[in-house]
Order: sequence, then structure tokens, then C-alpha cells
Amino acid sequence: MKKLIELDINGRIYEVAIDARDLLIDVIRNKVGLTGSKKGCGDGDCGACTVLIDGKPELSCIKLAIASQGKKITTIEGLVKEGGQLHPIQQAYVDHGAVQCGFCTPGMILSSKALLDRNPNPTKHYIKHELSGNICRCTGYKRIIEAVEAAAKVWSKEGVQ
Amino acid sequence: MFLNHFEYFAPKTPAETLELVARLGSKAKILAGGTDLMVVMKAKAISPDYLIDINGVEEFKGIFCEQGKGAVIGTNTKLAEIQFSEAIQAKYPALAYAAGEVGSSQVRHMASLGGNSCNASPAAETPTPLVAMDAKVVLSSISGERELPLEEFILGVRVLDLAEGEMLTKFVLPEPKLKSACRYAYMGRRDAMEIDCVNMAVNIELEDDGETVKNVKLVMGSVYPRPLVSKEVTALLLGQKLTDQLIEKAAEAAQGEAKPIDDIRASAEYRREIVKVLARRLLKEAYAAAKGV
Repeated sequence: MKKLIELDINGRIYEVAIDARDLLIDVIRNKVGLTGSKKGCGDGDCGACTVLIDGKPELSCIKLAIASQGKKITTIEGLVKEGGQLHPIQQAYVDHGAVQCGFCTPGMILSSKALLDRNPNPTKHYIKHELSGNICRCTGYKRIIEAVEAAAKVWSKEGVQ
Repeated sequence: MFLNHFEYFAPKTPAETLELVARLGSKAKILAGGTDLMVVMKAKAISPDYLIDINGVEEFKGIFCEQGKGAVIGTNTKLAEIQFSEAIQAKYPALAYAAGEVGSSQVRHMASLGGNSCNASPAAETPTPLVAMDAKVVLSSISGERELPLEEFILGVRVLDLAEGEMLTKFVLPEPKLKSACRYAYMGRRDAMEIDCVNMAVNIELEDDGETVKNVKLVMGSVYPRPLVSKEVTALLLGQKLTDQLIEKAAEAAQGEAKPIDDIRASAEYRREIVKVLARRLLKEAYAAAKGV
């Protein structure tokens, strides 16, 4: 039986008709139409579906949409500033060539944001540890880690939100 | 892949939750983090008729740490919260470390401490140090609650001492003794999103002289259907001052007790070797730390 629920995604309220078994990633992509979040393994292993829920990184492919009511959901689309200006962390990924095919990037960037929100002066080890739930199959992690380090400089200086 | 159809409940209070647990019984599953539950439901390994989402129940969350009084941790406290809790890091470093090694950052922000025990996987991270620290679990139902040691709660692979209508609601951790230390270590193929091939925790308490072992508990994970408490290590080391030779002997004893299996992650032979390595390392580390307290 379908149910009408409200989801707060990137500060906008979306009213969607869902089934209790619908997963958050499917609702975000197919019903809300925000296709930035990717569905990779579908088992919570790869991190491509990472979204922020109340600021914390969670896996939307093993999260029920119905259980996400009343929470603030942030997807990659929510990071871009008004006028299309990139968020500093997005800019850092671009500047450092941390994007190849781009499939892992939305999840990777949201995990990066979460780790910088918690600790704006991270060590390399801390970055690796907190990013280890996001898998990139194109290239390597060197440039990604460099991008996070660069973003951390902006973070600690400007206190980005 | 679709999940089966189920009816979804989101209680707001412990009383509502326990009423649902009593009424729906084994046809229902409790949804906390879902990092284990959703995955097995997707694989159609289980298809519950009802889900009881306890994330709206504030009473099931939180760390209550009082000086001199141990700690109480709600069943639905997220592992990331335990990993980053300054109180837990200071008082129970082995637990903070183990919680920080579960899955990935995303998993730790979703998964709960209660779920990590109730999933009853032999390779789970947090039950090992919790058992080493003599943690107790509180099981609640509409007719009351009972408390029992975690090591008696987990009976085997996916088997718990949990009656119909009961649910785990909190963990009770005793205050660490003076001159004691608990340490945790694991071995696996990679750091994130892997399942330990062996994990272990050692808790050592010393006599007033700061050298003689008053109490020691070595717990092994992933080498037995449930967290395995070594009897021989305790027997060997009680009342002793530890030397390298004695530690070596104790590590070999632990190795003899472990009953690992061959599987995709490691062979039994390799696991037995690792038991010895971790036992040796942890006994030394915990002994040194206990002396330093």
C-alpha cells in the first residue's frame, strides 16, 4: 500500500508516494529525480549512494525512505551554492583531478564533507580511515586525499558550512 | 533488488516498542541501523512480516558515563558516537577502538552497538572487548527486565539467549578497576568493510604491587561460534608477574583453545597463527598499560 510521506532533501520538502519497502536511493533518484546520488553495489559496501542525514554520512541503498522522514537529507546537488558556484570541496576535487569517471565522486565528496565537519584539521591517516567506505575503481586515492587536504585548508580558514 | 512487503512501525517510547515486540513476536524484526538487517533482507535470507524501527525512541540512545560508576550505553547508540566519545575513549579505549573499526564511516553512523551484538556474528568487533570488560546486557519485555553477562547472551552463530517478546535495551559496563587495562586488536585483509579473520581483547588487572596479575581475561573473536573466553590463559597467568616466556606460553595456550574454520577470508591454520601473534602482542600491551596506570 502506498503512503504519502514528506522528505526534506537539500532544504526543500518533497511529497512522495512510497511503499514501506522502498529504499531511499531509489526514491531520491526515481521519484524525486535527483540523480547525483549513485547506486553502486546496492549492499552498502561501495559508498556510491552516500548521502548526509542530519549531517552524518549514511548509505541510502540500505536505508528505508520511510525511515528518513523528519530528517535533513543532503545529496550532492545540495552542496552547490546559489548561482551554480561549486562548494569548496567540489572545487578542490576539480582542481586536484580527483575525478575520473565520476561515479564514486558524489559519495566521496559527501563523506569528505562529513569528515571535515567533524575534524577540520585531519591527518592523512584520519582522511583515509574515514573515507575508506567509498570505493573508487578508476584511478587511485592519492588525488582524492590531496583534494580533501586542500579543502581542509579552506575549511579551517573560513569555517565552511 | 526489492525487499519483501512488510508492515512498518515507528514507536516513539520504550513502552510502545515493547508492546509491539510482545504482540508481533518472531514475525517482527527490530530495525536499528539496518546495516546487517537490510542486507540479509535484500538477499531474501529473511523476510519478516513486520519491522519495528526504534530510531524514534530517544531512551534507547546515548552514553551515560559517570566517574566511578562505569557506563550505561543505550542499545541504539551509533558506533560512530562510541568511536568519537571522549568519555568512552578515556575510560574504555578498547571499545572506542573496536567501534571505530567496524565497517566504514557510513556504516558506523548507521549501525548500533546493540545490533552488533544481536546480529551474533562470530566475527563481530564490539562483543569481543565488551566481553573482556565483563559488560552486561539488559533485556526488556512488557513484564519486566533481566540482566545477564554479554558472554551468556551470545550463544552461537545468530543464536541469542533472547525469549520471545524480549529485546536488548542497554549495555551496562562496570567501572574499570584501578591498575587495570583493556586492549583490542584485529587482523583482516584490509581496514574498511572487511570481516576480521581474528579479533581479540585482553583485560588485565594487577595487584597493589603493580606487577602481579590479579585478574586476566583474554577473549577471541572469529575463531569460535561466539566470543571465546580463554580459560587456560587465566589459569596460567593468575598470580604471576609476566615475563616474555610466560606470555609466549599463554599465547600458545590461547592458540590451542581457538577452534577456527576455513573460509573465504582465511584458513583455520592461518587464523591459529594469528591468534598467537595477537595474544602475545595484546598481553604485552595491556600489561604495560596496566602497570602505567
